[in-house]
Amino acid sequence: MATRALIAGAGITPATSPRKQRSSSLELVQEAVWAALEHSGAAPSSLDGIVIGNIDGFEGTVLGAKHVVRRLGLGTELPVSILNTGGTTGGNLIQVAARQVRSGDRHRVLCVGGPTFFGAEDLQSAINTNSPMVVEQPLGMGAYHMGAFYPSAYAERFGATVEDFAVSAVQDHEHASRNPYAHLRNTLTVEDVVSAKPLSSPMTMAMVCPVSTSANALLVTSESGAAGLRPVPVLIRAMATSSDPYLGGGKNDFAVMENLAILARKVYQLADVRNPREEIDVVEVFSPYAPMQPMQLEALGFAPPGGGIDLIRSGATRIDGDLPVNLSGGPLCTNAGVAGELAPYVYVALQLMGDAPEVMQVPGARRGLAHGTGGTFFQFENLAILERQERA
Amino acid sequence: MTRLNPSAAAQDPIPVLGLAATPLVPESNAVLDELVFDAVFQALREAGIRKHELGLSVTASLDIYDGRSISCGLTNAASGGYLAQSYRIEGDAGQAIIAAAQTIAAGDADLALAVGVYNPEVSAPDRRAFLQQISNYAFEPHFDRPVGLSAETVLGLHAGHVVDSGELSEEQLAEIAAAAITRGSARAHAARRSPVSPGEVLASAPVNGVLRELMLPAECTGAIAVVLGSLARARRALRPRAVLTGWGQATSDTTASGQWLHNPAVAARRAAQEAYRRAGVTEPGEQIAAVELTAATPALLAPTLDALGLAKGGVEVAPSGGALSSFPGVANGALRLLEAVRWVEERGGQAVAHSTDLLTGTVADTATVLVVEGV
Amino acid sequence: MTITTQRVHWDLNYDVHLGATWGRFMAGLTERKILANRCPDCSRVFVPPQAYCESCFVRTGDWLELPSEGVVEAFTVAWQSFRGGPTPPYAIAGIRLEGASTLLMHYVRGLDLSDPSNVREQLPPGTRVRAVWAEERTGQILDIAYFEKV
Repeated sequence: MATRALIAGAGITPATSPRKQRSSSLELVQEAVWAALEHSGAAPSSLDGIVIGNIDGFEGTVLGAKHVVRRLGLGTELPVSILNTGGTTGGNLIQVAARQVRSGDRHRVLCVGGPTFFGAEDLQSAINTNSPMVVEQPLGMGAYHMGAFYPSAYAERFGATVEDFAVSAVQDHEHASRNPYAHLRNTLTVEDVVSAKPLSSPMTMAMVCPVSTSANALLVTSESGAAGLRPVPVLIRAMATSSDPYLGGGKNDFAVMENLAILARKVYQLADVRNPREEIDVVEVFSPYAPMQPMQLEALGFAPPGGGIDLIRSGATRIDGDLPVNLSGGPLCTNAGVAGELAPYVYVALQLMGDAPEVMQVPGARRGLAHGTGGTFFQFENLAILERQERA
Repeated sequence: MTRLNPSAAAQDPIPVLGLAATPLVPESNAVLDELVFDAVFQALREAGIRKHELGLSVTASLDIYDGRSISCGLTNAASGGYLAQSYRIEGDAGQAIIAAAQTIAAGDADLALAVGVYNPEVSAPDRRAFLQQISNYAFEPHFDRPVGLSAETVLGLHAGHVVDSGELSEEQLAEIAAAAITRGSARAHAARRSPVSPGEVLASAPVNGVLRELMLPAECTGAIAVVLGSLARARRALRPRAVLTGWGQATSDTTASGQWLHNPAVAARRAAQEAYRRAGVTEPGEQIAAVELTAATPALLAPTLDALGLAKGGVEVAPSGGALSSFPGVANGALRLLEAVRWVEERGGQAVAHSTDLLTGTVADTATVLVVEGV
Repeated sequence: MTITTQRVHWDLNYDVHLGATWGRFMAGLTERKILANRCPDCSRVFVPPQAYCESCFVRTGDWLELPSEGVVEAFTVAWQSFRGGPTPPYAIAGIRLEGASTLLMHYVRGLDLSDPSNVREQLPPGTRVRAVWAEERTGQILDIAYFEKV
């Protein structure tokens, strides 16, 4: 029996660096899962599925989820689906869980985002195996370098300077300073960002995500599965994914996030959103590199081409603006792998429920947009519109 | 012309519109995405639809076999994912097929594709050792890995236990294996292409405990794609091949509990219950005519049949020869479906396809069960 | 004694399959040829060549040789590398070879990378570059050693 999918619980652990992290990967996941269950009020025995992500090369285990899921105090019978789409795994978890629920097969599915980067010494080398080997990998392009192509082309097209790109970094950090779960909570000035060590032009070290450890979990339910649970339910109103070709060279214009723009139109159509700027109350975009954010906001229809930086500069995307963006601080301040990619969905859900920490809560948020991206040259995108469902 | 009239007992009948496999060979001399493209292209053509009509593509593959982190980046476009919806499950293709079916049952797509691809990027002589190395890496890192646990070891432990308990003798294991291999040897997708005798099975290279090489799955490589459609859309498809009437998925427990030893097919049991419920099958022993199951060793045949509720009754067991005849790694779930579909195309009635990922043997495996009926 | 971590090591070697399409491309490189192929439906030209067109979803058809010159459409400079990576700084560009519908990613050498602030002006939009071949070519992308400004 087809049904709609709702989010009815969320759990998240405070993030820190791998060096300072005292809990094991398993303990972090346990903490997040139990936080989600407590938040929702759902008994563990009422769950009927787990959807979890592993990015094997980054984790030092193959399908480590197989062992983790049986150590969560949830019994030994839950069916387990393990996803791996690299940087979009977190965002995809929720879409897979939503379909399991929407099909009528499941009523309460737990989506689990683990701290992927935990413990990987050769992380960048492992990440590099994602680069198309044989034809692009030998060019020494790590993730930063691939990410830099976009702002480089954007700068060429619209004349953006390093100072311009610093603006979203300053803002993400300002927001993170009010997020008790964020990893990097220091505030920065434009000067701080600009004068940081150059990384891959036009990016500096202050413009790229940290390696964080944290875990999170979301409870996705059917309409009947949400009954009796504590939080105000959040409807997954529309969701979709879209992919670019594998080779970086297969894109067209690096000054535009073309794949995301195509996806945005699809999702807005599904949700019947006519004017995104007016109809969306809170946004979490996945911008692990600060210069991506203005480009993403343009692709999402919040600003015209070349207008993304002005939008941020205008204050519209601050907590007190009309389009709050990344009140969590985004991945620029906390990037814990799969947990990092699930985070936009966790934070938007909490905002719509009215259950975000008070200092970062947007009052009266009803409709939110959550976004994730990843893969070589950010090949993959995922997007969802979430809506608060007032109880009758 | 289609004459779709699926059983009214099925909750969400989902026609299978296309099913295609690349040649299943010991080592495919192709890049993974080329294998995926060939299978997907064929399946779409058979279904009479274009890639652009697909609502979702789900791929089953494993980074670690593919030699790349996020290997789905490479195969995504070949699965039809360019500017479209897609994701990748790390597990057996049966899970991808179920995910595609769920999407249609959810009303989120009218056409969905599942594809499994398996071509470990290690050349032949070293391959077995490589696959077991990967299997070892999939075990719990602090306790299981250091003591050499691997899929073969787990299977060997189980088979040894079955022999020690008097349930089956080694000769009987060999008979079961020989029958399966011989049955499958003349068929299109067989990896073991010659009949064998129980003596030859016993004489094959010892691998682990009582298990000889010919008592373990017949490894092969390739890609297999399945196109599913909603009943509404399928009525205008070229030639639906079968109807998927039920599906179920379950995961077994990890090493410590010993479930892998004493109750090795528990995941198959729960998956089957779910699938039969969806399909409206109340007496599997009487209603199911054939079962394409995945038994990694002869010792697992009886427990699996029992778990599937098919130990009694006249069901035809693994007419294709099963995993001992052909086992294309994570694409196996799609091969089992392909064989089950061929069965119902020839004989009508209902059949079951069962698969599991053998990455860690019977430890924490995820089993899938599909019920299909003829058109 | 507080034990909090345990080393887990992977030692994996692969022989990655090239397939016929990339295999032919690599063979072309040994002969100092940059080969591409074309989609029979939309006529897009792919370099590196592709076995299929992802957009039309058909097998590609004709092969052609492209000139080894083109225009830089996007680039970046890596000021920091990664373990096992090349020694920084180095520049990588997306190059539109004449006639190609895709960009070829490759190194650009011969730039003055001593000062991050004067890098952009060395590769303004439309900068033409040409391939410089390696002395010894063995059938890999680095048979083109790098591109340089014309």
